[in-house]
Amino acid sequence: MTDPAGIVTAATRAESLSAELPAGRSTGWWGMVMFVATEATLFACLLGSYYYLRFQYGPQWPPPGIEAPSLLKPLVMTAVLLPSSLPMLWAEHGIRRGQRWRLRSGLAATMLLGITFLALQATEYAEKLRQFTMTTDAYGSLFYLITGFHGLHVLIGLTMIGWLLAASLRGGSFGAHRHDRVRNAAIYWHFVDAVWAAILFTIYLTPRL
Amino acid sequence: MTTTRAESRARLTGGLLLWYGVLGGAVAWVVHLLAGWSLDELTCAAGSERVSAVPLWQAVGLAVVVPALVTVGSLLVAALAWRRTAQAQEAGADDRAFGRARMLATLGIWANLLFLTIIVLGGVAVLVLPPCQR
Amino acid sequence: MPTTTPSPAVSPADLARLTEHWAEPPSLRAWFSTVDHKRIGRRYLVTAGFFFALAGLSALAMRTQLARPEAGVVSPQEYNQLFTMHGTAMIFLFATPMLFGFGNFLVPLMIGSRDMAFPRLNAFGYWVFLFAGLFMWSSLPFGAAPNNGWFAYAPLTGEQNTPGLHMDVYALGLLFLGISTTAGAINFIVTALKLRAPGMSLNRVPLFVWAIVATAFMVIFALPALNLDNAMLFLDRRFDTHFFDPSAGGNVLLWQHLFWIFGHPDVYIIVMPALGIVSAVLPAFTRRGVVGYPLVVLAIVAIAIISFGVWVHHMFATGLPQLSYSFFSAASTIITIPSGLQIFAWLATMLLGRLVLKVPLLFVIGFIVTFVLGGFTGTMFALTAFDQQVTDSYFVVAHFHYVLIGGAVFPMLAGIYYWLPKITGRMYGERLGRWAFWLIFTGMHVTFFPMHLYGLFGMPRRVYTYRSEPGWDGWNLVSTVGSYLLAVGLLLVLVGVVHAVRRGKPAPPDPWSGDSLEWSTQSPPEPYNFPVLPRVHSLHPTWDERTAESTGPGASADRVLSEGRRTLLTSELDAHRERAVEMPESSLQPLLLAGALLLFFTSMLLAWYPVAAVAVLVVVVTIAVWLWPPRRPDRELGVTA
Repeated sequence: MTDPAGIVTAATRAESLSAELPAGRSTGWWGMVMFVATEATLFACLLGSYYYLRFQYGPQWPPPGIEAPSLLKPLVMTAVLLPSSLPMLWAEHGIRRGQRWRLRSGLAATMLLGITFLALQATEYAEKLRQFTMTTDAYGSLFYLITGFHGLHVLIGLTMIGWLLAASLRGGSFGAHRHDRVRNAAIYWHFVDAVWAAILFTIYLTPRL
Repeated sequence: MTTTRAESRARLTGGLLLWYGVLGGAVAWVVHLLAGWSLDELTCAAGSERVSAVPLWQAVGLAVVVPALVTVGSLLVAALAWRRTAQAQEAGADDRAFGRARMLATLGIWANLLFLTIIVLGGVAVLVLPPCQR
Repeated sequence: MPTTTPSPAVSPADLARLTEHWAEPPSLRAWFSTVDHKRIGRRYLVTAGFFFALAGLSALAMRTQLARPEAGVVSPQEYNQLFTMHGTAMIFLFATPMLFGFGNFLVPLMIGSRDMAFPRLNAFGYWVFLFAGLFMWSSLPFGAAPNNGWFAYAPLTGEQNTPGLHMDVYALGLLFLGISTTAGAINFIVTALKLRAPGMSLNRVPLFVWAIVATAFMVIFALPALNLDNAMLFLDRRFDTHFFDPSAGGNVLLWQHLFWIFGHPDVYIIVMPALGIVSAVLPAFTRRGVVGYPLVVLAIVAIAIISFGVWVHHMFATGLPQLSYSFFSAASTIITIPSGLQIFAWLATMLLGRLVLKVPLLFVIGFIVTFVLGGFTGTMFALTAFDQQVTDSYFVVAHFHYVLIGGAVFPMLAGIYYWLPKITGRMYGERLGRWAFWLIFTGMHVTFFPMHLYGLFGMPRRVYTYRSEPGWDGWNLVSTVGSYLLAVGLLLVLVGVVHAVRRGKPAPPDPWSGDSLEWSTQSPPEPYNFPVLPRVHSLHPTWDERTAESTGPGASADRVLSEGRRTLLTSELDAHRERAVEMPESSLQPLLLAGALLLFFTSMLLAWYPVAAVAVLVVVVTIAVWLWPPRRPDRELGVTA
């Protein structure tokens, strides 16, 4: 059954077309997905506002007096944050099999990477604040609002992970059949990671295009 | 009940196909609106009527034609899903999944016609209006 | 038609157990900690009604001021606050919460479930709504209420142009309220996806539920734009950022874009559930289902999607290239097709059915007449020359009051009379209801029709007084008289409701022979809603023998679920039974969390930042405790995490 024609025939039978998709998700899963959807819209509006002000502003962006952001540190931050989803995945798969040690070590690894990211962001802010602040001009306002808001999300994600870690250190919180909270926090964390990729592109890469 | 891998793949593809039939036009329209608007707005704001080597009206035209084709595809899939489920119901199958899929397909047919109309109206505007006239 | 004496098939022992798990013995603590969707829904309705009364009294004050030229009832400063609070409260604190109240009470009943998907989140949403409303209204006695109109255009709202707390109250109040609206929307979507009674596949979902779910999706994708807008406004005002400041690279039009990306869908967020009420009321009073069910569903879904692509038509005069404008006007043109489709479906239902002329149907007819007139003046704005002539005149005021009173208030009143027996367990007086209808209908048209005229004669909106001009004085007085008539009519509604609650005849389970599942329960429903969760066999379950049988002789123990506080999860599309789930018990945490948020927003407003930091800490700790996983064996029969 690997020939394409066969698959098309099979997929367009009435039974296949009326296959139930999606099915079997929990209420918590849907709740988190909807929450992430509304948060993603918020970030889309935020980045949309950035582009709107940038293209209305004129040829030179960032405005005179502010250098185009340097790339080295944000790239290091990316290299820290994006892979932090992997231990999270590993931890989630672990608890599905009831392996609590995998949950604990995976969460700890993710948390370490997340904290490193925030520390790097703090040093970046320390440099930037000497050059411009939120009140310098619209660019400054946008820069700090967007990165700060994302940083806040990382902090919230870290709080969730720390909370899960604390709960997992106690027996009886999670198990092979009870891991809704782990999965929901994981969805949120992956979302925070994905948003960073969009922010990297918007704030750090596009001024160099 | 054992479902073979091929069968479950067919069900996955079929389920996705139905959603393409229902929502394809809507998604295509969103892409058309954002792409057409931002292309036109940004290029004109930069004082040019070309996107690199391509004249602007052709670039915007592409943002009409591609979504329109996607919508037509979605319309055809919805029509196919409607016929298949209708046949299955006529053959006497009393599964509420068929009734549900058939309603979604009906929804898809009409929705795609609406979105196709919107996209085509935008296409007419591309042919009639100079791209940067204010 | 099957009679609906509930639960002949459930044993008294089961009923006692259900009561034990679901009932809340009356106490002060139970009052604050309840998570019952019916009580929360009722509270939404009453609270939104209270804010409606406040906003209505603001309008009466304004009409009294405008009854004759150069009157001095209120000062210009007070007038600015009155019209802003009137608009803001009607849109944000009345229309949407009122409809969410209907949704809260009805959605679980209509889909055959025992509660919402997240009962505690539901309670939290209510408390936040209440606190946000009080937060905004309490600024009025201090003379610090919002005063730049409900859409708060920059740069008028900047710190320089509007000093004082006014617009800070607006920005923070709406952000605060946004939490409640978002939580409610997520709850509706998940409830409708997962908690439908077995057998209720998507093609058997009541139109009201479709409308609520479509509205909830619009909230999810539209509200972030407003929230961001208000956050930027607050930052600009308080912390000197420059988002809307052209002198430092900002742009005032950014406010308008973001506001209308939210604002246009919001028109449908307000009207859509109201239209859902119409689709729910009609079958009972025409003795048949709404004509063209799939097409009405199509209309609901298509409007929800297309409404996001029309926002630019609020910004005619902002100088876009014509071509990019035409993409939006194509969508603006086509969105009329699904809107018309719904109207014709209702007209066809009324033509093909047998009309039962009770008060709810009167309000539905009043809705159709008024809403169509409002739509008619709406199409007149499409003529750019005409639009520019009447923009910011009373003509616009007349238009949107026809749309909003016609499209939202009339259906809500129909809904109040229709579901009053279900909500309170008492019948209303038909005669008083008719008086109320005719007073409201007449008062509404006497108030707002003349506004078309003096709008065309050039009277601008939002002026606190005017000099005597030909055509203005007399018609303004007519409007004022009409507004008092309208107020008397609305007062009669209140009298009718209070009278029904105090002395009304006890209502039978199904006084109208309605078609949806809420009519197959007691009036008012037991705390557990259904002794047996029904198995649904058609689009009109209460008219359908097999569904009725599933709760009678055909009841099975796996749908009674009396050994805990339980309800059923079913699959998303076809509502196949998945498993029983344990529902949360009542809790004080939602109230505590909402209170902490109130503290946060109040201290932000008054610039007590250390207090705000403490409030944030309380919020975090409350959430952490709220969601802390209970200690349980890994697998418990019939219960998930």
